[in-house]
Amino acid sequence: MDAGLLEQMLLGALLGLSVYLPLRCGQLSLATPGFFAIGGTVAALLSTRVPALAGSGSTYPITSVLLEMALAALLTGVLALGLGRVVLRLRGIYLAIATIALVEILRVVTLNLEFTGGALGIFGIPQPFDSAAGYAAFTLALLALICWLCDRLEKNRPGRAMAAIRDDELAAASQGINTADTKLLAFVLSALVAGITGVVAAHFLNSWNAKLGNFDASITTLAFVVFGGSRTWLGPVFGGLLLTALPELLRPVGDLRLIVFGAVILVGPLFFPKGVITPELFKSFKRRIRGTPTAAAQGVKP
Amino acid sequence: MEGLLQLLFNGLSVGAVYALFALGYTLVFSVLGVINFAHGAIFTMGAYFTYLLIGGAVGANGLLAGLQFPFALPFWLALPLAGIASAAVALVVERIAFRPLRDRGSDPLLALITSLGAGVILVNLIQLLVGAESYSIPVGTLGSLPAALNIAGAKVRTVQVMLLAISGLLLAALSIWINGSRSGKALQAVSEDPITAQLLGINSSRVIQIAFGISGFLAGMAGGLVGLSISIAGPYFGIGYGLKGLGVLVLGGLGSVPGAVLGGLIIGLAEACVPADLSGYKDAVSFGFLFLVLLIRPQGLLGRPQSNKV
Repeated sequence: MDAGLLEQMLLGALLGLSVYLPLRCGQLSLATPGFFAIGGTVAALLSTRVPALAGSGSTYPITSVLLEMALAALLTGVLALGLGRVVLRLRGIYLAIATIALVEILRVVTLNLEFTGGALGIFGIPQPFDSAAGYAAFTLALLALICWLCDRLEKNRPGRAMAAIRDDELAAASQGINTADTKLLAFVLSALVAGITGVVAAHFLNSWNAKLGNFDASITTLAFVVFGGSRTWLGPVFGGLLLTALPELLRPVGDLRLIVFGAVILVGPLFFPKGVITPELFKSFKRRIRGTPTAAAQGVKP
Repeated sequence: MEGLLQLLFNGLSVGAVYALFALGYTLVFSVLGVINFAHGAIFTMGAYFTYLLIGGAVGANGLLAGLQFPFALPFWLALPLAGIASAAVALVVERIAFRPLRDRGSDPLLALITSLGAGVILVNLIQLLVGAESYSIPVGTLGSLPAALNIAGAKVRTVQVMLLAISGLLLAALSIWINGSRSGKALQAVSEDPITAQLLGINSSRVIQIAFGISGFLAGMAGGLVGLSISIAGPYFGIGYGLKGLGVLVLGGLGSVPGAVLGGLIIGLAEACVPADLSGYKDAVSFGFLFLVLLIRPQGLLGRPQSNKV
């Protein structure tokens, strides 16, 4: 497979995880592309304007990329902490619309500011890797790390609190869960993942502009999670990988590919209302691997 | 004084279209509690239908290159017909993207994704059939009306006056229908509580279809009007309106019909007031408003607050 496409798919999976985190807590936040755009802009600005980061070698040093990631995480984290306090008072569709508004305001501001390059954006972002395969390996490692963290989160106390809030916020609150802080945690984690992903994407794409964080991206990333499933971290990863690859894989059908893409996200939720990947699916899969216990194995006498 | 009047006219005529657009969102939201993300695409379809019905020819890039209807209708006839065609499209969207979810009792929020899928299909279908070029509806189709009118010293484009008049007419008709007719009252009942309404003998499914039909009709008319006053800038031109419509919707209050009108006019006026050297920020106006309103008054200007129920 083409390493460039693989890299895009991995980035899609990371963005899917970013949407998944608040959704696991029952919060439909579509702010991911906004934080993604902030991460990308941070990387684009730092790597093109700060000579100290460029290093002496022929390629851009990976340590600088890691530094950019840390700064992007800091910025998006602080921003999410402040904004989250305010927007998370909203529920359901209201939260979704407020976060769409945030993303759009951010896009229009980036489009009009001088130092972000206006409508053209920032060009010539230096490359830390010689080939797309290098990016793919780096992003795969990042994805694996974040998947592992998500897996840990699903099993520990804050993660379980998030699931409780998703199932019933009032009941969770009555059980002594601090719902405001838990929701904020999910929102901030989502922003961190999106911001870090933006840094990688900016280097990979070589240029960055305001269009990369728009409404379309909000909805596409949401489609990753709804399609893949929001009960376990594997869902958004699966959805992100598949739906990012789909328009490319459909290239042979030519002009029809976006129509087919639309049809897939239209039909997906009808047949898989909980997403394709669900915990039940795992259980039945595990059962099948172990083999169905027969009556004899259970010690039942004939 | 003339300047102010000019500003007022510019703002109100844009705002009236926003209101028409947002009303379509609101009608669907009030009965289903979800946003129809295919609404922008239906609006775009309305613009293209109007263009074809006035006898416009398709450009060279689509599958239908060179297609032209053998007749050329005047604008006042083409617009409502385009509205009806858009209503038909909206009904199809309801059938494929909303009803299956209802039948299966799925999470209503899934409709955000399915309707988006329907929107993606529609927009790309337009692109496939008629190409990505922009079209404009010539003002000549209005008949022998002057291009501009002089109202109290302000020079106002006839198109703007028409926009205001048609939108006003539609809004009045809609509010009479909602408050005065049996089906309008059924719509109110369903938006209050679909299950109770069903128990009381209202066919909720039918009411939802009516809401979609009217919503599509309004979107199609709004599309045709924008096509006339500005131009049809390609298959994607409805998306920007779709987003602004969200702003209008929330500003007025989700599900509130007078709210959508008020919200449309406020945002239209506010955009008209953005000075020329800051015009790049114009698109952020409605979202700035939206954000503030959500934080201060989440139920919108004329909406009702939601309560926490166990």
